Amino acid sequence: MLAVFLVYTSIAGGTPQLRPSELKGRTGEVALVGKVVGQVSGDARRDGMRFRLRDVKGTAAVPVVYRGSVPDLFRSGRDISLRGELKNGTFVGEPGTLVTKCPSKYTDKKQT
Amino acid sequence: MPELGRAALIVCLGLAVYAVGAGSYAAWRRRGRLAESAENAILASFAAALVASVVLLSALLQHDFGFVYVYEHSSLELPQAYTISAFWGGQEGSLLLWLLILTGFSTAAVLLARRSSRSLLAWTVPVLGAVIVFFSLLLVAVSSPFATQPAPADGLGLNPSLQNPYMLAHPPMLYLGFVGLTIPFAFAMGALIARRTDELWIVVTRRWTLIAWTFLGFGQLLGAHWAYVEVGWGGYFAWDPVENAALMPWLAATAFLHSVMIQEKRGMLKIWNVLLVVGAFALALFGTFLTRSGILSSIHSFTEGSIGPWFLGFIGVVVAGSAALIVSRLPLLRAKTKLESPVSREATFLYNNLLLVAFCLTILWGVVYPILTEALRGEPVTVGPPYYNFFLKAFGLPLLLLMGIGPLIAWRRASLRGLGRTFLWPLGIAVAAGLVLLALGAGSSIPGLVGYTFCAFVLASIALEFARGTRARRALSGGSWFGGLAELVSRNRRRYGGYVVHASIVLLAVGVIGSSAYDTTREQRLGPGQSMAVGDYTLTYRGATRERGVNAMETRALVDVERGGERLGTMRPGKNNYFAEQQVSNEAAIRSDRLNGEDLFLIAEQIERDGVFLKVLVKPLVNLIWIAGFVFLGGALIALWPDAREQRRLALRYGGREALSRA
Repeated sequence: MLAVFLVYTSIAGGTPQLRPSELKGRTGEVALVGKVVGQVSGDARRDGMRFRLRDVKGTAAVPVVYRGSVPDLFRSGRDISLRGELKNGTFVGEPGTLVTKCPSKYTDKKQT
Repeated sequence: MPELGRAALIVCLGLAVYAVGAGSYAAWRRRGRLAESAENAILASFAAALVASVVLLSALLQHDFGFVYVYEHSSLELPQAYTISAFWGGQEGSLLLWLLILTGFSTAAVLLARRSSRSLLAWTVPVLGAVIVFFSLLLVAVSSPFATQPAPADGLGLNPSLQNPYMLAHPPMLYLGFVGLTIPFAFAMGALIARRTDELWIVVTRRWTLIAWTFLGFGQLLGAHWAYVEVGWGGYFAWDPVENAALMPWLAATAFLHSVMIQEKRGMLKIWNVLLVVGAFALALFGTFLTRSGILSSIHSFTEGSIGPWFLGFIGVVVAGSAALIVSRLPLLRAKTKLESPVSREATFLYNNLLLVAFCLTILWGVVYPILTEALRGEPVTVGPPYYNFFLKAFGLPLLLLMGIGPLIAWRRASLRGLGRTFLWPLGIAVAAGLVLLALGAGSSIPGLVGYTFCAFVLASIALEFARGTRARRALSGGSWFGGLAELVSRNRRRYGGYVVHASIVLLAVGVIGSSAYDTTREQRLGPGQSMAVGDYTLTYRGATRERGVNAMETRALVDVERGGERLGTMRPGKNNYFAEQQVSNEAAIRSDRLNGEDLFLIAEQIERDGVFLKVLVKPLVNLIWIAGFVFLGGALIALWPDAREQRRLALRYGGREALSRA
């Protein structure tokens, strides 16, 4: 069992989770975590939804384009994560990977 | 009123501290009166927790927004049922519910053990007291539900996604499960401190473990159903850290429920059993810690509260304390017997335990991986569903197979010839089922095909067990088949209840495999009058409606459904725009087929003036998962039902009144 485990983890690995400020110069697929800031434009069903993602605690931000399902709770000001890759200075999201961290159960509205 | 609540919590804390101090001293010096007084302190702490809970509940029902908690988690327009559920809708309230259940369970355990197994209780009371101290201290000093403020006119309301009937049942059930695991832990520790390493603590707490495990299992399935019908992404389990947090202790408890039988029957695995009990309890605490600490990003992410470090500290104390205690008692925990053969009932139990624990640990590894990699490499690395799904197959499929082998194989040592005879029928049925499924096209997923073949094998072996037992009963006492079956089950409830639970796990596996290995997903934009085909369904978009509901604007896409030329009706997936909370929620439409258990699942991703982006999922057999929940509950109840014959057997074994335990 241990062998199965070791073989799998050594081959497959995981996805690094980054903040917008850490994204510079990175290639390959990563998960990006941050806060949606400013206007959300475009259409996720067609040419892609565009917005900026900022460090949850910080000022560095990166433009993001995303196509695919958008969670109900998505909007400017929310903390989200999505997988994708940095291409020409824009983070291109992978369809269906956008997840909002919901304000959920144990948070009051003052924080959102 | 808030003063009364606060005072009740302080009293609860004081009583628990007393139970620890007086209980330990009494156990150490063998003072009977003092021990009784410590027990009574536990009973009284329940009363105190009850008073605090009543204060909070009545504040909620009276909309007393002077309570910060009431203000933050309810509002005037919130329906009454959800106002009650707001009790556990926030951190402080849910901790109070935890304390209430903890003291309630402790009280019941003390009262039941008082009559039967008093000698075990001596050191158990201080352990229970210590856990109560922790929770009441949190509520008194760190996270009080009784903070006050000048009352605003209205409250902030409850998150719309929590305004759901499942909110009334799912969280309390999980709490009952999590907290229930405290009782076996306390008795195990109590027995170890008292150097009583016979099987009595297991006998006394087995039912408690079973109760906690039943709540935890059923609660999780409720949560899965909630996610499936309400969250509307088409799935029911996503390997989210919070879901894993509930799964891990359940797996550990499942392993324990199996390995205790080995200790009872053969006197083996004593250390292992203690480890499992400690592990299950620690994992339950860890789960609570994960959901409250904000250390991991989860779709359930709760607030980054102040109680995380407290929980971590408490888990550290629990793990370190138990480990030290186990090490100091190692000589007493030596097994009386050894494993005689790798082909025997006890060996299959052992393999089952290894697989369950391995699965539990790989989940734990996946959950803490981001934390570890952040500490080691400076950036968190996450593992996703592929990681978990791989191990679900790698460990889950052998587990399924063992479920068919274990019940049929002999204790101690099974002969090869005997094995051939025993497994002839189940093997034959499994191979036949596999071939039929292959002919039907199930070969599109090899793990699915293997899983289904194993399922057939397990079901056949369970059926065989019931048939053999019933035949033997009838040979002894005559009567009808049904009478024989009923008598068989009632004479050995644990065993046959267990088989029913096994059958429910097979149903679960059939549903999970069907809906994940053989599902179909399609996304398409449809204009009015346009159609799409998915599986053997044809869907036609008719147009959209927009209606003003009680608390939301409800937009619906009207989709006509046809199969094989037969009209099945109109489905209405859509979205609700909640006025007060200014949130959108996805309202998926689900059509369940009663005959084959298949669901047609529609999500209107985006409704526009001249069309809709429709996501369609066809999920074969998914309904068996929910049916499995009820079968599981039925089997657990059969196993839980008090059994007078068993009590007598135990009384003979452990001597006199001591073991006439009803716990």
